[in-house]
This record gives sequence, structure tokens and C-alpha cells, in this order.
Amino acid sequence: GKEAAALATEFDFKGYMLSKAAAVNRALDLAVPLVEPRRIHEAMRYSLLAGGKRVRPVLCIAACELAGGHESLGMPPALAVEMIHTMSLIHDDLPCMDDDDLRRGQPTCHRAFGEPLAVLAGDALLALAFRTLSNPQSYPSSLSVPPSRIVRAVAELARCVGSEGLVAGQVVDIESTGRAEPVPIERLEYIHLHKTAALLEASVVIGAIIGGGSDPQVERLRRYAQCIGLLFQVVDDILDVTKSSQELGKTAGKDLASDKTTYPKLMGLEKSREFAEELNRDAKQQLEDFDREKAAPLVHLANYIAYRQK
Amino acid sequence: ASSPPPAFDLRHYWTSFISEIDARLDAAVPVRYPSRVHEAMRYSVLSGGAKRAPSVMCVAACELVGGRERRDAAFPTACALEMVHAASLVHDDLPCMDAASLRRGRPSTHALYGVDMAILAGDALFPLAYEHVTSATPLALVSEHAVVQVLAEIARTVGSTGMAAGQFLDLEGGSSSESQVLDVLGRKFGEMAECSAACGGLLGGADDEEVGMLRRYGRAVGVLYQLVDDILMEEKEGVGSNGRSMGKMRSNASVVDVVGMDRALEIVEGLREKAKNHLQGFEEKYGERVLPLYSFVDYAVDRGFVIQEAIPASIAKV
Repeated sequence: GKEAAALATEFDFKGYMLSKAAAVNRALDLAVPLVEPRRIHEAMRYSLLAGGKRVRPVLCIAACELAGGHESLGMPPALAVEMIHTMSLIHDDLPCMDDDDLRRGQPTCHRAFGEPLAVLAGDALLALAFRTLSNPQSYPSSLSVPPSRIVRAVAELARCVGSEGLVAGQVVDIESTGRAEPVPIERLEYIHLHKTAALLEASVVIGAIIGGGSDPQVERLRRYAQCIGLLFQVVDDILDVTKSSQELGKTAGKDLASDKTTYPKLMGLEKSREFAEELNRDAKQQLEDFDREKAAPLVHLANYIAYRQK
Repeated sequence: ASSPPPAFDLRHYWTSFISEIDARLDAAVPVRYPSRVHEAMRYSVLSGGAKRAPSVMCVAACELVGGRERRDAAFPTACALEMVHAASLVHDDLPCMDAASLRRGRPSTHALYGVDMAILAGDALFPLAYEHVTSATPLALVSEHAVVQVLAEIARTVGSTGMAAGQFLDLEGGSSSESQVLDVLGRKFGEMAECSAACGGLLGGADDEEVGMLRRYGRAVGVLYQLVDDILMEEKEGVGSNGRSMGKMRSNASVVDVVGMDRALEIVEGLREKAKNHLQGFEEKYGERVLPLYSFVDYAVDRGFVIQEAIPASIAKV
């Protein structure tokens, strides 16, 4: 408790986030050049460079550095997870899915470019994610990455985003929406663990793998990521009932309006806040065996997810 | 280049290959929870009538450079190619894209499972392909370096300068010159065949030069096959060989419409020769092992037999 508080003052988290996010933004800009056919690359860039806090890529780089790798080594996996995150938002927003018009205060990809391009831009970002992660040329030429690490990272990312990961969460979410009976908590947790936590898990785990982490290190970081993944959703649900649309930059109260089950609805606002605290504690426990100074970014990232206001 | 002697029985080679790859795909795409998306994925990959051209090309290229004993090295990638191929077709068929309600004479995935499930099935088949390559490729036969090359190759092929670009350019229409329609064909169909041949080579242990030759050979065959399909469709003025609904050609950019039949036939002959030329070096090195690859070229043009299941009469008449 006290030591963590002391560290909080020593470590400039805001500066860390800003500098890492800026590095990620520069690399994303370079990763999708405006080549022919221009329109499809414009659509990819529109969604990919629309801003956002870059939580996933920063987590990836922080895990890579904690595992002993340099920031530049963590950049290809960091770009990959942000590309997949963007792709899932583009497809999620489509009329046949959530049918959203706005994303981060801007027209969604299909509103700006039309549905066919939104489908294709998503597919192309998914492909580019795996290309970036697997292409040895994505990595700095001075650091040779063992192919075994790349193969492991690709397997991990593919599992976390596929039909037993991200997609599974979306499917169960679709199947649970608009039903008369309330969604049981186990199912709600399944949805969040797959829809939100899976990609956060992949971000941390593939960062650690590419960074050269040992198996026990990778597994501890996996548990850390699973905790903050669920934490992320619980906080999201809390914000949805306590904040206005303007503060959030997206339609607030949508979960209530659409009868979506949320943690506050299921366990009440106070219990939801307690649950969030518990998850934050569990997450930090996983970091205790690591070098305290090196683990500071991930400690603060957990706090950041727990105490964010939007 | 001379034609191969008729000793090689492509029909037998290909048909027995189809049952082999289908059995492996059947095992590689199991139904798990949540079942509906897995069923949609299985339907997309296994719904019968697929010619399995990408995978047969991959395994044949692997056998060419690595010998028949090396063919198991190529099967996981061959399955992965079928998965990404199926994923692209599922998304191409969507109402907002080609709006095809039929695929190979059966309801397309979105017609049967809904548009949302079709999008998600495609989104899940792409990563399953990469996962399958990483988990099923026998590392006793293939180096991890080659596995990484294969993964990057597949991801490049399906991406924004490859097949996704082809689909976009095709949808956009307006291809009015020979080079434009050939560009669309190259991206939509040449890329996949190029990738299949190159991956087979990488998995069979080919050197850089050989991979380059396989790459150019594969691309020529892929474009050739599709071009001949266009010509046959033009002649029949009916349902395409993939059994899709009338009024929607597989490709909006018909080469024959743009360059005329005579020129289209000229291009076919040019591509046939080009493809075979790329095989000459292999013939000197590997002798008879190159025969399957020669026979693909001739099959693409002559269609001496029907490789897929017959299209049901009720659909052919529509």
C-alpha cells in the first residue's frame, strides 16, 4: 500500500502514457502508407488513426519491456493488437451488428466510407496485424527475433481473437441481447472475458513473449491481463450509468436503453465498485515477483483502467 | 515448353487429394462453444463442391521440391489456405458486397446463418488459419523460420494490396482497359495461387530462386484459370462453374467484355506459355516430379474433366 503510493509519486505515468502513445501513433502512421488502391487504405487509416488512448499497444510495450525487451521490439506486436482492436470496432459498428453511427465522436467507418469498404478495411487490418507480427522485417534489424517467439506470439494472438476469443464474445453477446430473461452473471462474465479481456490478454502476453519473457513470467502477466480485462468492463459499465454522453464521447446509457445486462444492474453500483477494487488488487498481486521499478508502468496501467473517467 | 506425356493422371491425383484435404479440414474446424459461429465456419469451409485449388497447388509445389515424403509438411498450410479462401468468399458474398445468395449451388453463408454470423465466421476463419499453421505444422519437417515466412506470406496475400484490394477494385467497377481487368483478376485470383505455390515451396525446402519461380508460375495459373472461366461463362451465357446466381458474375470485371473474345483467347495462350516456362528449370532438376504442375496449366485451359460435384439441375436451370 504505502510503497505503491510512494512509487506512484516517483513514476511519471502521464508522461509515460503520452510518450508511448506518441511512438505508437508514429509507427501506426508508417505501417499503413497510402498506396493503391488508395480508398481502402484511406478507410484503414481513418479508423486506425482516429485517436484513442492506445491502452492495448502501451500494455504490449510495457509487458515487452518488463520481460526484458526493448521498446522497438515491442512495437510490431503493439501495432498488431491496435489493428485488431480497430478492426473489431469497425465490424462491430456495422448496421448488421451494433449499427453505430458515431465512434470517438466521428462518423463510424461505414458511415464515412460505405459498408463494403468497412468490411474490407476491417479484413485488411486483420491481415496487416498478422503480417506485422510475423514479418521479420517489422522488427529492428539490429535485434534478431528468434522465429520461435514469433510463432508463439502468432498462435497466442490468433487464439485470443478467433472463434474462442474475441469473436466468441461477440457471438454470445449477440445471442444474449434482446432476450426477455436476464443474462446470468456467468454468461455476462464470459462475454466480457472474451469480448474485452481476450485482446488485453493477448496484448500483454505477446508483448512478453516477443520481449523474451520466461514461461512463468508470461503466465503471471497473463493473469494480470485477465484481471484488468474484466476490470476494464466493470468500470465501463459503471461509467455508462454515471456519466453523460458528452463526457464519454459516445452514447451513454445505451446499455440501459437496450436492456443489456451490466454489472451495476446485476449487483448494484456499490458492489460493482468493490468488485473493481478487488480486480485491481488481484492484478497487482501478479506483478509482485517482478522488479518493482520495471513493473511500475503495469501497476499504473491497472490504476489507470480502474480510475479512468471516460 | 513441351506438353507433359499423358502418363500423369491429374484427375485421380486431384480427386483423391480432395478427400484427403476435406478430411483434414473436417478435423481442423470442429464445432465448439459458441456453436453457431463454428457451424457457420464449418459450413463455409466444408459445404461441398469446392475444388480445393489453393491447397492442391500448395501440396503439389511442396512435393515438387521436397519429394512425396515431405508432403505432410504442407497440409496444415494447405488447410489454412482453404480457410482464408473461404473467409474471403463469405465476405465477398455479403449483401453489401456481391449480394450472392448462392455459392456452389448452395445458400451462401449469410443466407443460411445471417449477415452478422457470416461476418463473424469470416473474422474467425482468418485467425484460425494462422493458428492452424502454428499448431499443426510438423517441426520435424519444417523450420520455424519457414513457418514464419508462410504466416507472413498468407497475411500479405489476403491483405489490402492483395485479395481485399481485388475485391474492392472489382466492386468499384469501371475497369475499362485490359491492364485494369487483368489487375483485378491478378489480385482476386492470381494472389491466392501465387501464395499457394510459394508456401508449398517454402515448406518443401525450396531456395529463394525456386520460390520466386513458383510464385510467378502460381500467379500465371491463377489468372489463367479465372480468365478461362470468364470465357466459358461468356460462351454459355449461363451459370458460372461455381453455381452462383445469374446476373451476378463471379467477377464484375469480365475480361471478355473489355478486350473481346479474340484478344482474351490470345491472352490465355500467352499465360499458358508463361506458366510452363516458369517450370522449365524444375523439369531439369526434378524430372517427372514437375508433371502435376504442368498438368494444372493444361487443365486450367482445357478442362478435360469436371473436378467438382455436379451442380444440381434445379439450380443450373434458374
